[in-house]
Amino acid sequence: MMDIFFDLSVRSVRLNFLRSLLASIGIVIGVVAISSMGMLGTNMQLSVKDQLSANVNTVMISSDVVKIRTTANVSTTSSGIDKSTLNDIESSAGQNQVIPIHRTSTQFTIGSTDGRGSIYGLDPNDIPKFLTVDQGSLTKGGSDVLVGATIASNFNLNVGSRIKIGPSNTANRPVVRVAGILTARGIASDGVNADTAIIVPDLWYTDHYGDKDVYDQVNVIVQNVDTISDVESAIDKKVNRNTQIVRISDASSRLTSITATLGTITTFIMAIGGISLVVAAVSIFNVMMMSVKERVQEIGILLSIGTEKGEVRRMFLYEAIILGLIGAIVGGICSFVIGYSVVNAMLGNTTYFFRPESLIYIPYGMVIGVVVCIISGMYPAWMASNMDPIDALRSE
Amino acid sequence: MSQEPLIRLTDVSKVYHLESGDFTALDHVSLDIQENEFVAIMGPSGSGKSTMMNHLGILDVPTAGALYIDGKDVAKLTALERTHMRRDMIGYIFQKFYLIPLLTAYENVEYPLILKYKKRDTTGKAAEMLTAVGIDEHMSAHRPNQLSGGQQQRVAIARALINEPRILLCDEPTGNLDRKTGFQIMDILINLHKHGKTVILVTHDPKIAEYAHRIIELEDGRIVGS
Repeated sequence: MMDIFFDLSVRSVRLNFLRSLLASIGIVIGVVAISSMGMLGTNMQLSVKDQLSANVNTVMISSDVVKIRTTANVSTTSSGIDKSTLNDIESSAGQNQVIPIHRTSTQFTIGSTDGRGSIYGLDPNDIPKFLTVDQGSLTKGGSDVLVGATIASNFNLNVGSRIKIGPSNTANRPVVRVAGILTARGIASDGVNADTAIIVPDLWYTDHYGDKDVYDQVNVIVQNVDTISDVESAIDKKVNRNTQIVRISDASSRLTSITATLGTITTFIMAIGGISLVVAAVSIFNVMMMSVKERVQEIGILLSIGTEKGEVRRMFLYEAIILGLIGAIVGGICSFVIGYSVVNAMLGNTTYFFRPESLIYIPYGMVIGVVVCIISGMYPAWMASNMDPIDALRSE
Repeated sequence: MSQEPLIRLTDVSKVYHLESGDFTALDHVSLDIQENEFVAIMGPSGSGKSTMMNHLGILDVPTAGALYIDGKDVAKLTALERTHMRRDMIGYIFQKFYLIPLLTAYENVEYPLILKYKKRDTTGKAAEMLTAVGIDEHMSAHRPNQLSGGQQQRVAIARALINEPRILLCDEPTGNLDRKTGFQIMDILINLHKHGKTVILVTHDPKIAEYAHRIIELEDGRIVGS
């Protein structure tokens, strides 16, 4: 049988159905705001995490010193990893694959359209170790190149298309031929943003840009991801033994940093959603105060015939909990539907929506909604239980 | 040696501190009420009848003096102990019935049992009590606003009696009833007195007061006749 105080609370809510419903709608909105924002943020984090996790086994090494070089009687500053440093990296990397990378940015022309993008110079043998070709074939050298999925799509490139490399006002620009189009990579955590780049053979690169035996970046693809920190420290010990020559990082540290940032953003947008719960809390508080004020004589009767203060408090807290539960349950259902729509609209896919770490925000939001109601009901309940029964009985 | 009184007021005063100044509602009142007495308290408005009833019902404590109920100094009890004493020892019958509007007649009578035993009544005691005061099963499913004044007062009496209190405090119990129903209610009270209850009745009506064995007259917070 139902607790009489719970029963009284249910009847009070029923008696003031419209008022209770309106107060609960506030909680529904609050729960939906918090849950949906939380799910959106988590889906963003999961999406980014999955994209970055693809290259989590890669150690990136870049130069940490600036060298002054003289080319064609002009002094230029550049930072690069020289041959001896590369040898040190190779010797300390053990059986893991070492990929030296040349990189610059350039203008280019396709047909009559000018564009700008990155050019990576890679040993053709290294390319299949971390890039996959979607259309065409790998470059075998010469002036055959690969292009990223975004460039191919933006400039309508096909296998066999020609690209003039260099600023459009330059005479005798070298022309390369598209041998293959790469599969889209998304956010590249190994520092090779191939989607917007042209991948050329290393010999073609050094022939046109110089920098033979000087690399902009060296990636080490670790066979066993658990040994990544050992590989990093081995390289660090060998290469940076005297002075800091190279900067060593891996995708996991970037991943941690990006997911932490996204986590902060998620918390922030959830806090904005939480403002609606504050408004709802005020509404619940108001409804509870009205309920107490309207039932002063009833409270007087209850207290005068031997109801304990705690029991009166319980009765009003039950009322707040009922309002909270109605709001939380309806809010939870709405959160599922609205959250799904928001994630779909904002991210374009709902792959991660049904993951537990995403859906957990629905019960989170519901619990927060109920807790907010309980907190809002505490003062009115306390006020009711501390009434003077004589004064309460006299009130009309 | 005389028997220890069930209720003893020793030099009890109650002073209310109002903005317009102090108001003495009870002024050095001393009174003994024995177990199974039928006492009527009479007096004009403002004479202190309600304050006296509030004290006897442990809803209030004296400013000065001492009030003993069943040998216990009420002022020295904790708030919870006073609540339990109200629940277990005293039955209230009010002029305005004061039934709980959200509960049915049956639930109103069951309510003090729930307070005492912390569970719903499964013994059928509440239904028996309602039958005893003349409320049938059909009527007991009604809410107070669906009952007549006389029916409401019968339910209130059943509620007051359900925990078998030793003291029945009746504040103008016939004040809101027609004369015939009033006398029917008084017959119930007389019967309860015969069964050992201590009945304390506040009334303006001398005809009703005649039912009591002792009449205490109050004026300006003092006992002027007993």
